[in-house]
Amino acid sequence: MKPERACYLFSIDMLLDWKRFILILAASVSLAFAWNACSGRGIALGQSVLAQAGDELVKAPDAKALLDKGALFLDARPRDFWRMSRIPGSLPLPEEGFDKAYPEVEERLRRASTIVVYCSGYGCEASHIVARKLREKGFAAAILEEGLPAWQDAQLPLDTEPRP
Amino acid sequence: MSVFANARVQLVLRLLLGAFFVYASLDKIANPAGFARIVYQWQVAGPVPSNLVAVTLPWVELVAGLLLIAGVWRREAALVVALMLVVFLGAAASVLARGIDVQNCGCVSVAKEAVESAWPPAWTRGVGWFLVARNLLMLAGALAIAFVAPLPLGVASKQRALQEPRASESGPA
Repeated sequence: MKPERACYLFSIDMLLDWKRFILILAASVSLAFAWNACSGRGIALGQSVLAQAGDELVKAPDAKALLDKGALFLDARPRDFWRMSRIPGSLPLPEEGFDKAYPEVEERLRRASTIVVYCSGYGCEASHIVARKLREKGFAAAILEEGLPAWQDAQLPLDTEPRP
Repeated sequence: MSVFANARVQLVLRLLLGAFFVYASLDKIANPAGFARIVYQWQVAGPVPSNLVAVTLPWVELVAGLLLIAGVWRREAALVVALMLVVFLGAAASVLARGIDVQNCGCVSVAKEAVESAWPPAWTRGVGWFLVARNLLMLAGALAIAFVAPLPLGVASKQRALQEPRASESGPA
């Protein structure tokens, strides 16, 4: 046992055992990965936690190529955001109020060869939810990975003309 | 600093901090997907790094918290806790500076915001000044445990006896 020094001063090197510090972190991380692998509650580490089986993700540059080929883009954000700015040619299909907005776009969906849904990225799950709802209705829709921020990071165009 | 060198103060700090971190880790360990969502919403890390944080962080909290409660490797455990708090504070500062609205910080519970209840109140759940103040307080406690050597109780009472002989009831020093 190490002698305990009765001391009022800060003394970092004398008292801390860095091996223990590293060991605490290593043990915790090992337990964490073991739990993630074996508990049945684990998550897939390599993809966004918002993505589920069956979701088709598309990266911003690929989405732009689809847009140029005439794909239909749907904005899953609240309608006011779509009114302010949007991916050119996109139609609003907000996650909140999906059932109300769906009939407005149904005709266009039937005519579209490719559908891409997007929202505001990061923790935004709306595009995933809308794409799943569309899937239930028989439409295959891709999801823009990382949403609008990825679109803007790729220097792709936005339509910022206000809409009523 | 002498108040932090008091062994009883250190014991109370250790138990409070340890209990909070153990409690805070449980819901996240039980629901990694929910916690990963919240980490992602902080917009500090992309989807894959967010997953790694969400999977590992609660276990670091649990192990460090248990060690603090048990009093085993308490300095090192307290330093781990202090480092986590520094990271949390940095992330909170970034979220506040960018004006991102995180309704549930995921600090303790990862339940969706749809479950609106009177307790705990919303301002304890979001990323705001309450979180910053609480983390600063806990950081002070963690640093005290990590870096201030507690005066053993025997030594403290002997010292007191030397300084104030009349206050001592344990006979002649």
